[in-house]
Amino acid sequence: MLKRRVIPCLDIKNGRVVKGVHFANLRDTGDPVEAARAYDTQGADELCLLDITATTEGRDTFVDVVRRVAGQIFTPLTVGGGVRREADVRRLLAAGADKVAVNSAAVANPLLIRQLADRYGSQCIVVAVDVRQLKPLPGETDPLYEVVIHGGTRSTGLDAVSWCEQAASLGAGEILLTSMDKDGTRDGYDLAITREVSRRVPIPVIASGGVGSLEHLRQGLDPKEGAADAALAASIFHFGLYTIAQAKHYLADHGIPVRPHEAPRGVLITG
Amino acid sequence: MPREVILVDSQLGNLDSVEHALIQVGASVIVSSDPDRVATARMVVFPGQGSFGPTTRALVDGAMGAALRMVIERGDPFLGICLGMQLLFEQSDEGGGFDGLKVLPGRVRRFPADMRAGEDPDAARLKIPHMGWSDVQPTGEHFYFAHSYYVETTDPSLVMWWCRYGSVEFPATISRGNVFGCQFHPEKSQWSGLRFLRSFILGGRA
Repeated sequence: MLKRRVIPCLDIKNGRVVKGVHFANLRDTGDPVEAARAYDTQGADELCLLDITATTEGRDTFVDVVRRVAGQIFTPLTVGGGVRREADVRRLLAAGADKVAVNSAAVANPLLIRQLADRYGSQCIVVAVDVRQLKPLPGETDPLYEVVIHGGTRSTGLDAVSWCEQAASLGAGEILLTSMDKDGTRDGYDLAITREVSRRVPIPVIASGGVGSLEHLRQGLDPKEGAADAALAASIFHFGLYTIAQAKHYLADHGIPVRPHEAPRGVLITG
Repeated sequence: MPREVILVDSQLGNLDSVEHALIQVGASVIVSSDPDRVATARMVVFPGQGSFGPTTRALVDGAMGAALRMVIERGDPFLGICLGMQLLFEQSDEGGGFDGLKVLPGRVRRFPADMRAGEDPDAARLKIPHMGWSDVQPTGEHFYFAHSYYVETTDPSLVMWWCRYGSVEFPATISRGNVFGCQFHPEKSQWSGLRFLRSFILGGRA
């Protein structure tokens, strides 16, 4: 049976983890490689690195971070942030990423999704979709959601659900859905749009934005609430509030099928 | 002494993580795209991502395909990973139909689009690709899968471990003599994946 995934996400700026990761056993709380290794050992099902640097030098640093992290973990690695063209995707895959997320560039040129999927396979192309709820017009009952780009600073006029469906039909392998309204609030995912997208698209959906507790992870993954295939979170894990293992236990106790946490056993012969 | 493994580079995806995982479990890895080198290997790992298509056709029809068949027929340990396992079979439905290496009986099929998460007809449609961690039987261990196509074999005795997705039960690992294959990505399956690779490296078995 396919399990629901828990995915910690690290925001990277100029080669460092933004805000740092606060675990008792980490020497350098801003080092992405140490943080990634800690999450891997804790039993993360996958790891996400997002580049929030704006400069060209920062981008080169990010590729180097991807390379160093990929060399340390044995779980899938999704990377994104600032991916504009095919060459960016090639560079990140060559550095060891398993999946690359495209966001604004796909909105500007939807056929980029098909081009990337044809070249690298759907399984490594994630379309990241940032959404914001529109203020309902008088008489409207179901809220509408719009796609926003450039970190939520620019609206596009695209309907969120239609865009996700289009991305899937163009060959995206997964949707990473972030609610800009919820992001950073610790109020929980926007369950309404997560559920709507999860039910409408035929590909896996990763819920993102707003997690402040383990219960929020459960809500995102519950088939009757967010119905997402995977739950992404950053701060609740970074600040050592909860470990991935605790999240897995909580989810399993509440009826969400997850991969059980397994402590490392003597597997590594070298290194 | 480290076991020498030839890791076949056939332009079917990135090899770094497979190489890295093999090294972690004690292999000495040589990456090669040279059919002559592959043909003389004592142990071969053949990974692949993506789909059957022009690249696999060139491989199957060309010198690399012949080299892989030679290793298998000679009886040296061989492990195909994901597309590398699927290519051992006769044919794939993918892209209108492409031939495999025809070493093992069976064909590669796409998961049906209308599978449901439960018996209830209103239950959510299952997503394709089958992507994420699934348990295999009989061991109950979890491995990471990322695929839209699966092997349907006419010979169930080939199947070592099974995996179920929706209504489809498909081989997670197969073996016959010296030939092994896994549909999952052992290099992405953390400890269970490393254990699987280690068994292959140490024993020439999985």
